[in-house]
Amino acid sequence: MNIVECTDVKKTYRLGKVAVRALRGVSLFIKRGGFVALAGPSGSGKTTMLNVIGGLDSADSGSVMVDGNALDEMTQSQLANLRLHKVGFVFQAYNLIPVLSALENVEFVMLLQGVPVTERQKRAKAILDDVGLEGKYNRRPAELSGGQQQRVAVARSIVSNPSIVLADEPTANLDSKTGKGLLEMMKEMNEKRKVTFIFSTHDHMVMDYARRLIHIRDGLVVDDQVKEK
Amino acid sequence: MSIDLKMAWRNIWRNSRRSILTILAIAFASLLLVFMLSWQFGSYDAMINSAVKIHTGHVQVQAKGYKNKRSIRLVVPDPAEVGDILEKTPGVAAYSFRTNAFSLVSSKERTYGAIVIGIDPVREAKVSTLEKLVHQGNYLSAGDTDQALLGKLLAKNLLVGLGDELVVLGQGRDGSIAATMVKVKGIFSSGQDEFDRSTIHIPLKYFQDVYTMYEAVHEVVVLVKSLEYVPEIKRTVAAGIENTNKKGHLVALDWMELMPGLIQAIQMDLVSGFIFYIILIVVVAFSILNTFLMTIFERTREFGVLMALGTTPGRLTKLLLIESTTMTMVGIVIGIIGGSLITWYFQEHGIVISGASELMRQYGLAERMFPQLSVLSVVIGSGAVLVITLLTALYPALRVRRLRPVEAMMSV
Amino acid sequence: MYFQLGWRNIWRNPRRTLVIMTAVIIGVWSMIFLGALMRGIADQMVRNGIATLTGHIQVHHKGYRNDPAIENSMAEPQAVETALNKLLPPGAQWTSRVRVNAIASNARHSSGVTLVGINPHREGKISFIGQAITQGRYLKPDDKYGIVVGKALVDKFETKLGRKLVLMSQDTGREIASRAFRIVGIFRAEKEATEKQFAFVTMPVAQQMLKLRKSISEVSIILPVNQEADQVATALRTALPSSDYEVQSWQELLPLVTAVLKMYDGFIFLWFLVVFIAMGFGIVNTTLMAVFERMREFGLLKALGMKPWWIIREVLTESFFLLILAMVIGNSLGFLSVFALSGTGIDLSSLAAGLEFVGMSRVIYPIIQGKDVIMANVVVFILGLLVSMYPAVKASKFTPVEAMAHT
Repeated sequence: MNIVECTDVKKTYRLGKVAVRALRGVSLFIKRGGFVALAGPSGSGKTTMLNVIGGLDSADSGSVMVDGNALDEMTQSQLANLRLHKVGFVFQAYNLIPVLSALENVEFVMLLQGVPVTERQKRAKAILDDVGLEGKYNRRPAELSGGQQQRVAVARSIVSNPSIVLADEPTANLDSKTGKGLLEMMKEMNEKRKVTFIFSTHDHMVMDYARRLIHIRDGLVVDDQVKEK
Repeated sequence: MSIDLKMAWRNIWRNSRRSILTILAIAFASLLLVFMLSWQFGSYDAMINSAVKIHTGHVQVQAKGYKNKRSIRLVVPDPAEVGDILEKTPGVAAYSFRTNAFSLVSSKERTYGAIVIGIDPVREAKVSTLEKLVHQGNYLSAGDTDQALLGKLLAKNLLVGLGDELVVLGQGRDGSIAATMVKVKGIFSSGQDEFDRSTIHIPLKYFQDVYTMYEAVHEVVVLVKSLEYVPEIKRTVAAGIENTNKKGHLVALDWMELMPGLIQAIQMDLVSGFIFYIILIVVVAFSILNTFLMTIFERTREFGVLMALGTTPGRLTKLLLIESTTMTMVGIVIGIIGGSLITWYFQEHGIVISGASELMRQYGLAERMFPQLSVLSVVIGSGAVLVITLLTALYPALRVRRLRPVEAMMSV
Repeated sequence: MYFQLGWRNIWRNPRRTLVIMTAVIIGVWSMIFLGALMRGIADQMVRNGIATLTGHIQVHHKGYRNDPAIENSMAEPQAVETALNKLLPPGAQWTSRVRVNAIASNARHSSGVTLVGINPHREGKISFIGQAITQGRYLKPDDKYGIVVGKALVDKFETKLGRKLVLMSQDTGREIASRAFRIVGIFRAEKEATEKQFAFVTMPVAQQMLKLRKSISEVSIILPVNQEADQVATALRTALPSSDYEVQSWQELLPLVTAVLKMYDGFIFLWFLVVFIAMGFGIVNTTLMAVFERMREFGLLKALGMKPWWIIREVLTESFFLLILAMVIGNSLGFLSVFALSGTGIDLSSLAAGLEFVGMSRVIYPIIQGKDVIMANVVVFILGLLVSMYPAVKASKFTPVEAMAHT
């Protein structure tokens, strides 16, 4: 039932001459359908954790399984394929391809998957409506507000029905009201579409939304609590 | 329009100033190449045409060995037989017969050595420009006997004018003395000093009588309808000769064999031209390489996002190549249009290279030159630009494969 | 300080700097190298023309150039000799010749040639014939019946060394003079046409045959320095009465070569310009990129009170370094490749017929001319800085606020 299984994951970065131990042995098991927050101050290793789970970055040691795939055995091209079909990403900012409109940004993933054009457009429009962007299909990213851009990013991350969406501080660049709106929307998607969401944050308001809250500090899991509503 | 193309097109105009400069560089190179190649091809055509029409024709039938020895004894004994073959060969525009003999030509005052050429006035007018080159007096007519056309410089050296008499003294085909008196009927000027200084033309029949040639001639000169027919016609004529009883004695030669200097000069000009063009294109390629490279540095983060979305490195390479190809194609199209317009203008009006007319005349070129726009002159240059530019674009497009998503995302 | 800043700035993005420098290096190299090749071709043409019985200056009887007939001979060569001895710079060489159109014939062939009566000793120092004999021997001053002809003529006449050759020409009495010679030497020349054209005998023999007495057709002069030809020609013109003599420099004697030289001058300059335009696009674009990347920096400098002119100077200093460095390397490569070829040259013998058609030599030795090098570098340097003005002015116009907002 676990969609993510990490065992004793370690990762060290070199920043110039300094070695930064971003992950010092993290083990993490996340169930399908979860709405999980990775909490911790900046530099705690939460972004690295997300990158490792998404196959954007590889762990130095330990094993990472995503939806039954052992990431450390996969090639770059296979990882790209995994991201394409199983994982959606939402970043803090600059999520969108600037030369593509909102609709085209959402379509892009399906294009890569080889979804036929009519279905692509139908689904993209439907999901943009779902995230509250009806009528703004043809706006370019520069013509959308920060909150709207993040909604497009979320729409894009879930349009291809991934098993898991990884969101790295999705609300960090938004004011609290817009942030709340985005989280409501994400939660709705989580419940409606049964997509697993894992997001990082250091904002308590955001943590309140999570059904499971994992605290990370200095590359280690320091607290892990499941909240029931 | 596919989304890839759409992205490429929009990306090009994200930094319009830079893209325009890049496109202009490519357009400049293709424009120059279209024009220069049209110019070169035009001048080759003019050179070949004028050389063929003044000197050799496209194809000749001669006795074997005549080309180098020019001996009066090496003849085509039965020109009518060769004529029959030519009548039946498709693509032949006209043919004529010529005889040549080196002789002493004397006026009252002077004596010079010259090549006396026997021509059939009617046939000759169809294969060569001689008739048009006569600028004083008249061209020979069918019934003429002791009349002569004189090169302008020879006339000057001999101090003679129209109507003056010349004594011609040479050796006949049988070794006897050939001597006669001719009147200057016309004076011609080809602009090629060597030709104008050393030739005198008399009617073929008269020549054959004086030099005891009987029916024989030295050259059967063939003009074909178009340059590309030459190899085919040469083959047909050579095969035709094989069927006569003179096989092994006669040969068919094309203009390239008759004037090896001309074709080699053209080849040299082409090759040296290409050296210049390739260097030019390489300079342009390095000039625009930075534009292509900049793209990947500036958009690294964007590529990170694309990769996070699951775009494979191969797809990124493709996207970048579409972008650079589009830019190159726009440049080339502008270059071709501009180059064709400029070429077309000069094709109508001609170009005068001041001060070089004397020089060009010696190569059979008129003072006013006409470039010649052709599919070839358009395709070769722009093709070379396209290939080299795309090779240049390959480097950044392949480099992007080395990007790793996380590093890409961290760069700003 | 400015220079340090500029130098460091161009190495902030070494790859980009190296790419644009490569464009400039290839451009400058091609200017130097191809320019040198063309100069080499032209120089060979001039040398060849001068060596083929032209010399730097010729003196003739008035009217000879227009009508090179035997009537137009100089009957009193002493007068010319006196003038020459007085006016020629030290190191100059001269010789006199008899030169008439003639007909050469043997039992089987005949053809028009130029009969040249020479002073073997003096001629050998002046024209190509001194070093051109490949079979037999050169003429001796007392050769009564010896004649030296070219290889191509020998082949055409199907004859060989030691065989007889009859020469006919018009003498001063308008009679046909003829004399039988024996081939004592065969020469080779750069062009086949030269080998077919000239037949050399000694001057006294030619004078006797043509009843010329002491008359000569021409005086040919070789000067120690090529460039002096005009000066010396002018001096000779004043010394010799223009009613009897004409004096011409090689530029006038070889109008076709002069025309080729002029055309090459134009062509080389055009090439410089074309190459520059090709790299000019790259210089502008690269400098623009560098400037826009540092918009914030320029905004900051302006906020700190830097005047626009200083920013222009700063950007131009960077272009200056880039250009100078690329020019130094491009020039060095150009010189090196010319040097590498200067020994062996480029041998084009396989295209001999084509070379003859356009009047080129069989081997090309590239020659670097100072004025080309200067022109190439001036074009690249001045125009390079000029086109950098656009990005420089652009940079100077960034306002601090918009620059800081730019990311």
